[in-house]
Amino acid sequence: MRGAIRWVRTDLRAHRAQSAVTVAVIAGVVAALVLAVMLLEGALNPWQQLFNRTKGADVLVYLAGGTTAGQLRDLPGVTKVAAPYNAAPATLVQGAQKSPVQLDGMTPKLPAMSAPLVEAGTWLRASQPDGVVIEASFAAATGVGLGSRIVLDGVDGTTVRMRVIGIADTADQGFYPQWTPGLIWATHSLLAKVEPTRSETTEVVGLHLADPSAAGTAEVTQAVFNAYNGPSESSPVERVTTRQQVMDSMASDDRLLGELLGLFGIIALVAAPCAIANVASGRVLMQRRDLAMLKALGFTPGQVVRMLLAEQVALGVAGTALGLAAAWTATSAAFVRPAAGVGVTLAPLPAAQSALVAAGAILTAGIATAIPAWRAGRVSPVAAVQPSPPGGHLSPVARLSLLVRLPAPLVLGARDALTRRLPAALTVAGVAIPLAMITIALTVWSTIGSFTANPGRVGLAGALTVYANGPLTSAQTTALITADRQVSASYPGAQFDTLLPGDNGTFIARAMGSSHHPYPLQVVQGRMFASLEEAVAGQGFLNLMHVKVGSWIDPTIDGVPVILHIVGRTIEPDNNGDVVDFGLDALSAASASAPTFYSLVLKPGVDPAAARAALLAASGSRLNIQVASNPADRLGVVRVVIVVAVVILVLIAMANLLTATDVGLRDHVHEAGILKAMGLTPRQVMATLVVSTTIVTAIGIVAGVAAGLVVAPRLINAQGQASGMGWGIAATLSPASIAALLAAAVAGAVAAALFLSARAAHTQDPLLAARAPALSAPR
Amino acid sequence: MRQNPEPCPARETPALLRARGLAKAYKSGGGSVEAVRGVDLEVSVGEFVAIMGPSGSGKSTLLHVLGGLEPATRGEIWLRGKRVDGLSPSAWAVLRRKHVGFVFQFFNLLSTMTVADNVELPALLAGATPKQARKRREELLEELGIAAKAGAAPSRLSGGEQQRVALARALANEPSLLLADEPTGNLDSANTRDVLRLLRRTHAGGQTILMVTHDAKVACLADRVINLFDGMIADDAKVVPAPREKATVRNFLELRG
Repeated sequence: MRGAIRWVRTDLRAHRAQSAVTVAVIAGVVAALVLAVMLLEGALNPWQQLFNRTKGADVLVYLAGGTTAGQLRDLPGVTKVAAPYNAAPATLVQGAQKSPVQLDGMTPKLPAMSAPLVEAGTWLRASQPDGVVIEASFAAATGVGLGSRIVLDGVDGTTVRMRVIGIADTADQGFYPQWTPGLIWATHSLLAKVEPTRSETTEVVGLHLADPSAAGTAEVTQAVFNAYNGPSESSPVERVTTRQQVMDSMASDDRLLGELLGLFGIIALVAAPCAIANVASGRVLMQRRDLAMLKALGFTPGQVVRMLLAEQVALGVAGTALGLAAAWTATSAAFVRPAAGVGVTLAPLPAAQSALVAAGAILTAGIATAIPAWRAGRVSPVAAVQPSPPGGHLSPVARLSLLVRLPAPLVLGARDALTRRLPAALTVAGVAIPLAMITIALTVWSTIGSFTANPGRVGLAGALTVYANGPLTSAQTTALITADRQVSASYPGAQFDTLLPGDNGTFIARAMGSSHHPYPLQVVQGRMFASLEEAVAGQGFLNLMHVKVGSWIDPTIDGVPVILHIVGRTIEPDNNGDVVDFGLDALSAASASAPTFYSLVLKPGVDPAAARAALLAASGSRLNIQVASNPADRLGVVRVVIVVAVVILVLIAMANLLTATDVGLRDHVHEAGILKAMGLTPRQVMATLVVSTTIVTAIGIVAGVAAGLVVAPRLINAQGQASGMGWGIAATLSPASIAALLAAAVAGAVAAALFLSARAAHTQDPLLAARAPALSAPR
Repeated sequence: MRQNPEPCPARETPALLRARGLAKAYKSGGGSVEAVRGVDLEVSVGEFVAIMGPSGSGKSTLLHVLGGLEPATRGEIWLRGKRVDGLSPSAWAVLRRKHVGFVFQFFNLLSTMTVADNVELPALLAGATPKQARKRREELLEELGIAAKAGAAPSRLSGGEQQRVALARALANEPSLLLADEPTGNLDSANTRDVLRLLRRTHAGGQTILMVTHDAKVACLADRVINLFDGMIADDAKVVPAPREKATVRNFLELRG
């Protein structure tokens, strides 16, 4: 045991670089997989922590002002009813920007249920009657900070000035602006100033349930409606929100991110054993004589096998620990922060899944080493001469090429390259797999780049959005827009959150442009809508409604039943693709379908921020203009992941390359002595060695890049489809990029071969080499 | 060097190593080739036996088989009174730890370990604590005159120094039997003298040595020389050094007589 430990220690020390690469590779794999699991599981959702710390309510009931809440206590399944508080709608006015606000009336003493978590400043104080506390994501979105003076407009036009004395988090609703209105807490007196009429306020009651699951909350929601004579125009129940809705809203709404990370994790999990196996086999081959000597000293075959396995498993454990630590650090350092910069500690790593990933990585390291270790156990204790590769005569092709006076090194090198089938195949695989994955990673990079460079491709042609809730009329707005020379087209639009049949979710029904002049969506299947009843939908919507292109649907949009024929599928980056698009004129005159926004397509080369500033100036700051968000912004972290993944893959490829070159040289270096004796100059000998090893690695490089080019678009599109954005998002690499990748890889291979052959060719004494091949350069 | 035609002395010394009808065959080309054919051999405790013969006579093969590096095709081997020829590779390995030390022509030091590690490894393998192993290593390197090189990598040592390290390694566990395969075959004359001196000293300390060599000057050192030819023992006789007598007229007259 001690002997084994000593040998493992010195072996690791002697191969520091290789061991470091193995540890780094495994760490990267583990970190990527754990992060992916966390994203996909929603473990990065801050909701749970917030809910626990604020003692959140399972269900929030919004009743018309003045309604008694006593009936709620008697509902089956309700264990606790919070003291109701009043809330009133208002508008936060900041120049032309108006944000909807729900003003909650609270006391300086924090409530028992749904107590906001103050992150900065203080809670409400009696000594500061005009002090208010604003919710953190709302504060970040509107740029309101601690100490700011804000103006709130009541429904009937009263203007109240307030001062922000605190910023808090709550689990009562999702983050602004995904969830509106924004929340501000104020004292009762301040609330009364904004909304004096009690009956115009809303009473908010929080409930604790015995069964807080989805089924339980659905039952209680129904019971609440029933208790107040069912959902109807006259019911005092304005709305009911459940903890599931809040949880879903707070989750990172980008499934694509989780899936991409998972993809990289799995890619790495496939590449890692390949690298480990390659390195391990290489080591065994190089150390045949040392292993034979170990057996002569008294190591049993079983001991040798166990020793090698233990060595690699130890590296696996080290890499796994490092990977878990990296994942933990990444999540605690605000890796996923909702728009607000909420200071909430994220949920701990899901222990079961992390353990599974860790076990998988360690097992992978062990399995990858198993076969090389077993072969090491079978090495004979007699340090025999390295068996020479199967020889044979020169093929007719080789003889012909020599006749034609092709350089001898080229011919001999080519002949030597594939003499050993299995090691050559392993080398090709060892180089091809990492390169295929590098190609995939670069294609993802190029796809994300295309989101920014060519937003029209993903349905984001409109760079600016003008909201029609400002002081200007639609006529004035349109005039201003058409007058601007940087705008090439403008599309009026309206957007509605529409209930799914069965009321288990919503999708976005979006009307942009008219049926005859539609917004330039990216239709990738079917065709664009061209008449009043036609529409196109995103993949997410098709999945949600279980329909295909060509189906008819009849949703109720904004209270109006509409019949639509889905004629095409678009790439839809928003809302996970749960969007259906049609012309503004499809909504009949029954509902006043005045546009609520205008989507502006700018002329090519115009910077959206500059155009926004220009329009703002032209309108005297009376237009509410926002720059459209691009999924590339949310996917920014994927770029970081890609860089890390490419670095790891390059390391793996280099390790495999060096091992393969080493092993290949070892086979042929004793021939080098003979060649020199025959009259080849050292340079020619080196050229022979370089050619023989480079041919195999070059085959691997080309195979890998080709495989990557074939697989990458399919993989990325599949991810797009699964996440709801849609098949068709992948942007393939340009021919220039492919050429650059191939050139760089082949250059690397040649460099490795040159470096290693130079040493081998010059340190060889031809006579010694011919007589005692076992003396070849000790490594 | 005169060969003594008299048989072994009557006093029975215990046989450390005994072989009966030993044979080893290799598969080669179409059929099999017997490198060792029916060898009978006995080595007593404390004896220094040299095995000589032309190349291809099976000397190294015999040594490998006696040390358990390769299994014998036929025959029996007894080491310290116990039958060992049928042992599995694992059992042989365990046996070698304590009882058999090897020295090779090409040194065969472990390349990834320093000199100190190389010499300590057998002791650790046999179950010594790191401290005991280190003490033993210091003793051995001191004795062999290479204590200064303890921390060096083997590839940085000269041939003679490497062979001394190999010798130290072989003696680390005080083995019953030291097997040396052409220990000076790869050394120049100065280093050869050094290594031979060390072997002689080791033998003087009571070590049983079985050495293969092609050099008669080296075989001089031994108590006994076995000559191998084509896999069989051609000659097995004790070595008695020529008596040093003064060159007197009497001897001269005897010769002429």
